[in-house]
Amino acid sequence: MPPAGPRSGDAIFASVERVNAELFTLTYGATVRQLLTDLEEVEEVNKQLDQMGYNIGIRLIDEFLAKSNVSRCVDFKETAEVIAKVGFKMFLGIAATVTNWDADGTCCSIILDDNPLVDFVELPDTCQGLYYCNILSGVIRGALEMCLGRDIAPYLKIVTDTQYLAFTKVSMKTEVTWLRDVLRGDDAYELQVKLLKQVPEEYPYKDDE
Amino acid sequence: MIGVGKIKQYSNVLDKPLSKGKQEVSLSAFAFLFSELVQYNQTQVDNIAELERRLEDAGYAVGARVLELLCHREKGNRRETRLLGILSFVHSTVWKVLFGKVADSLEKGTEHEDEYMISEKELLVNRFISIPKDMGTFNCGAFVAGIVRGVLDSAGFPAVVTAHFVPVEGQQRPRTTILIKFAEEVGALSLTRYSSTQRML
Amino acid sequence: MQFFGGSEISPSPPAPTVSGNNAHMVYVFNRNGVCLLYREWNRPLHTLNAQQDHKLMFGLLFSLKSLTAKMDPTSAERGNLGVPQLPGQGCSFHSFRTNTYKLSFMETPSGIKIILVTHPRTGDLRDSLKYIYNLYVDYVMKNPLYTPGSPIRSDLFITTLDQYVRSIA
Repeated sequence: MPPAGPRSGDAIFASVERVNAELFTLTYGATVRQLLTDLEEVEEVNKQLDQMGYNIGIRLIDEFLAKSNVSRCVDFKETAEVIAKVGFKMFLGIAATVTNWDADGTCCSIILDDNPLVDFVELPDTCQGLYYCNILSGVIRGALEMCLGRDIAPYLKIVTDTQYLAFTKVSMKTEVTWLRDVLRGDDAYELQVKLLKQVPEEYPYKDDE
Repeated sequence: MIGVGKIKQYSNVLDKPLSKGKQEVSLSAFAFLFSELVQYNQTQVDNIAELERRLEDAGYAVGARVLELLCHREKGNRRETRLLGILSFVHSTVWKVLFGKVADSLEKGTEHEDEYMISEKELLVNRFISIPKDMGTFNCGAFVAGIVRGVLDSAGFPAVVTAHFVPVEGQQRPRTTILIKFAEEVGALSLTRYSSTQRML
Repeated sequence: MQFFGGSEISPSPPAPTVSGNNAHMVYVFNRNGVCLLYREWNRPLHTLNAQQDHKLMFGLLFSLKSLTAKMDPTSAERGNLGVPQLPGQGCSFHSFRTNTYKLSFMETPSGIKIILVTHPRTGDLRDSLKYIYNLYVDYVMKNPLYTPGSPIRSDLFITTLDQYVRSIA
């Protein structure tokens, strides 16, 4: 049974259960409003939105993989392209263009053709520093990290009859920033995705843990 | 809605044509967003009641906006002024727009005059949830209760709205009932004005 | 079972019955090697405590993955033994069979590993594993009360999984 090829975002979006975008948009609006009340500082809200997006990204990646038939995510360029193109379509029903790749394939732009998060939104003067859609950058960061983080390597040592596993984990982190934001007066929504250096970290997994 | 494949810029949100409500996102996108809303609010509270109250607050904001949008779109800016009218508006129109279907039932409470119940076999926000035992009677439907309260309140019918799981015979999963208890002045008003239409329910 | 009990050279356990459950146990691991779920339906013999058992299973899969990739006759690029491979990189094994059980394995690019141990005569379970992955996505990842990385306690997931596994022939 050879794995079927990845499905297109359009095909997936057409086949999954959908809800009115307004429920989504208004729920997001209520979330942002709650954060503004709780945290007061716009900068803190930006951070929290990014964190919430990250939390969503690390969950949503499994839905993406289960529905899209993507069975491998080996290289950054390929993974970023498929997540942006198929992902935005299958979850939000919108098209995204991936462009502006740099020479070594570690940095690109994602341009959104539409953005259901911002319907009915106008930033009041008190929120001018707010990246209203900052949740999206977090989602991309989280999703990419789940796919590209190197798996842990076991060094198997047979110690008497139990196996002792020592792991090395290499995480692959990205940085996602807004280059253009219509709510802040730009002409499009553009996110920059940049691959940061791989960071090896020791990850001990001992018998008594 | 924004033109296909192009972003138009409006200097003011009011210049933008009001969405016709035809756009859709995947249910998963909503489910993940909602999950994160719950997760975030869990970090802000000490107990279940507080968590439900915060979810209800978030829902309230949604409900108030929904009423504005729908009144503008469906009713030609005419607001519903009758109690039964607004209840059936919530049960059918609001439900259909937000959840893609009319609510399973709208009933009048049997114990109290001013209580009504909207029931749903599988409320959207409870679709994927499992409540651990240590969370007792927690119901994410508090968010939907908040939406209902937001709609009713903004339409001039203040009420206390709560969400409850109700076991159904022969079913593994309980249904969710949204209990609406109108404020006293509304209840009295409705009795005198609308007793003749009560059998509509 | 009694007929072959205790015999190390038993050819195979009794053929599965129509109504019976052919599955012995299921494991779900996340990318950090945390066992999110272990469930058993039919496992008369326990030799290790649960934690050792999970660790051994995780180690077994890792070794097998590494070894099978190393022995791949068709691939020019091969990592050294023990060097981590991303899911989908190189070749990947999906099941093995002994005379007493069959182990089916699936790994997603996000590092979720699902292992199903069944009767040795069970057919190809790759679609079943995919289905279980979909259940995981719906009832675990979309459960607003689930914290990623924690053990799965969702009744909804577990009962649906039990029902589904019972239906696997």
